[in-house]
Amino acid sequence: MAVFSFTRCLVRSYFCVKYVDHVQTLLQTTTRMFSVSASRSSFVDVPKAQFTDTEVQDILTKITGLDLKKVFRPIRQQLTPPKYKLMTDTELEESVCKAEKQAKHLLKMPPVLPERKPINDVLSEDQMLEGMDTANYVFTDINFNVPHRERFIVVREPSGTLRKATWNERDRIIQVYFPKEGRKITPPPIFKEENLRMVFEQDRHEDVLNQCVVQFEPDSVEFKNVLILTYEDIEKHGKYDLLRSTRFFGGLAWHLVNGQRIDGLLVDMLQRDLMQDAVRLVRLFNLVHPQSESAQHAQRQQATDLDLLKIYAQYESKRAGFIDLAVQTYEQTKALSSF
Amino acid sequence: MAAVTRLCCVLRLSFEGVGALRALGGAAHLSSLARPSPTQYAPVTAALQQNRHSSFFNKLTADELWRGVLAESGAGARKGRGKRTKRKMKKDLNRGQNLGEGRAGYLWPGLNTPVYKDGSVQKPSQRGEAEQKEVTAALERQRDEWDKRRKTKIKRERGWTGYSWGGISLGPPDPGPNGETYEDFDSRVIEVKSVFNVTAKESRKRSISALVAVGNGNGAAGFALGKAADKNTALRKAKNRAMHYLYYIERYNNHTIYHDIESKFKRTTLRMKKQNKGYGLRCHRAVITLCKLIGIEDMYAKVDGSVNLLNITRALFHGLANQETHQNLADKKQLNVVEFRAEQGTLPIVVARPQMGARKEPEVEDDVPNTRLHWADVKASQGVKRSVWSGVKRTIW
Repeated sequence: MAVFSFTRCLVRSYFCVKYVDHVQTLLQTTTRMFSVSASRSSFVDVPKAQFTDTEVQDILTKITGLDLKKVFRPIRQQLTPPKYKLMTDTELEESVCKAEKQAKHLLKMPPVLPERKPINDVLSEDQMLEGMDTANYVFTDINFNVPHRERFIVVREPSGTLRKATWNERDRIIQVYFPKEGRKITPPPIFKEENLRMVFEQDRHEDVLNQCVVQFEPDSVEFKNVLILTYEDIEKHGKYDLLRSTRFFGGLAWHLVNGQRIDGLLVDMLQRDLMQDAVRLVRLFNLVHPQSESAQHAQRQQATDLDLLKIYAQYESKRAGFIDLAVQTYEQTKALSSF
Repeated sequence: MAAVTRLCCVLRLSFEGVGALRALGGAAHLSSLARPSPTQYAPVTAALQQNRHSSFFNKLTADELWRGVLAESGAGARKGRGKRTKRKMKKDLNRGQNLGEGRAGYLWPGLNTPVYKDGSVQKPSQRGEAEQKEVTAALERQRDEWDKRRKTKIKRERGWTGYSWGGISLGPPDPGPNGETYEDFDSRVIEVKSVFNVTAKESRKRSISALVAVGNGNGAAGFALGKAADKNTALRKAKNRAMHYLYYIERYNNHTIYHDIESKFKRTTLRMKKQNKGYGLRCHRAVITLCKLIGIEDMYAKVDGSVNLLNITRALFHGLANQETHQNLADKKQLNVVEFRAEQGTLPIVVARPQMGARKEPEVEDDVPNTRLHWADVKASQGVKRSVWSGVKRTIW
């Protein structure tokens, strides 16, 4: 079952990779390889919410939004003249539903996995083979029906040691024998710091993230690095709207919530009158940090909706004034419109 | 006139001491001298020299002389018998000549030099040799420069080919009688041909027929035919007449037509296909010119049957004028018109809604679409078409 799922994973194009379904299987295989027992540190009393929890995923999908016009932006390809159909209202609604389903499929979030541990496994040491050659020899198992995570890739060094290949070497070798579309053997120079800075100035965060998802594995160091740099830049300049309605918004929100820096995002949502999204974000914060003051107060008072916002503004936020003002204006407008 | 000039043609008597008796066109002088002198005065040794001061150059006007030289209306010029290359140009010889300037270089006050100089009236005098040479040289140079300027060929803007007048712009049409200007309209020649009509008096009467189209690039365009004996008049007539026969053509997003059109006029069929932005105008050169005037930027068109330019123009305008816009289609069928673009995935874009609201019954669609296919299109789509021009990569459309 895992084998089939992995081959399917490889064959599909990089725009529609179903990551979340296979995160569980990914974790299982990694644990199988290294036989690491999943022992979480149990120092917290309340279990901390994980990225893969249904409630967390639900909140993240809801705050990502579903702007069809942005999801189905014209992509760069050979143009053809458009096709026209005559539809009744019901047919039109059906086609909109189909488009929304397709959009949801495209907005599947890339997984947030723990960093993969480096491989330092030495299989044998042969003093006799010392100085046999000047280069390393890499031996790969290229059976087609072996999942890439379970492949045997070993390296014989000139000093005679036979060791398992490091993660970098593994990625490169697998790309050589089983090339994936869009992935390069050596990472392109766009992922260097100074180039990334230039790209961020041009507001092309989404393109960088798409390329990053294609190039690196989700649990690799470089992947996490690029993601963190992008998120930091977005947070610094407040360009949250660039990623709204893309599949990376969930990751951004998760990163900010974990770093306890949701003020900027909250303010941006309130400025765009997204009250429900702001409430959901605060709820997510409380789920992830159950021992924080706002979470405890909310738990005690069983607060909902705007009260959550007020509690958060009171205890945790650094821009309490703005949040309070926004909540007040929203309540006033709601009261006025209800009359 | 001839009698007076004939009096001048008289025996000129040379008297000693009289000196400079120039022929000042002197009709009166010499005639007065001639008549009484031989009888009254004492006989003088006179050498009679025949000197004619009037020839046919003096007896005829410049126009008459030039008419004789150019021979425009001779038997050779009629009925188109004249050779194309042999054609003399009329030149105004009085240009550059001043009254008073002559070969001898005399200075006549009032003509060459000012009458008053330092308060007193001047007397006629003569220029020096060197100065006179200079003056004549300057005059020669001026004449040569004028001739050279006349001979230089102004480069005519090239139309569809080097010689043809098709595709050449004639500028905006002339302003109307009530002062309205048509500055935003551009006119282009489609066809210039010489046509003949057989009359009773002259066997073949030649005239030029010009087909000109005008347009402002924003949907308003028209065409007209003008006929006259010479080309420029015909072009002008057609250009101004075209403004009275304008069509307004609806365009989709201002760059293409609403749907594929097949319009037939006499024996000319014009198949037009809607294209996406950036495709360009891949059509017959006349259709390209007309589409540019209308403001259509992307279209494919194929002319089948006769390639008569007037019929192509008429087929194009009739087809485009009878287009069905999306709103018309929606109202006719009482259904929403929804557009699906390949580059935007499965997103439905509603382009037109019927005014009365959509009906409940959906459109019945057969499994096999009821469209007539064209063999050329089928071959092109199947890849069977063997043409050296089908796959050629062009950068200018």
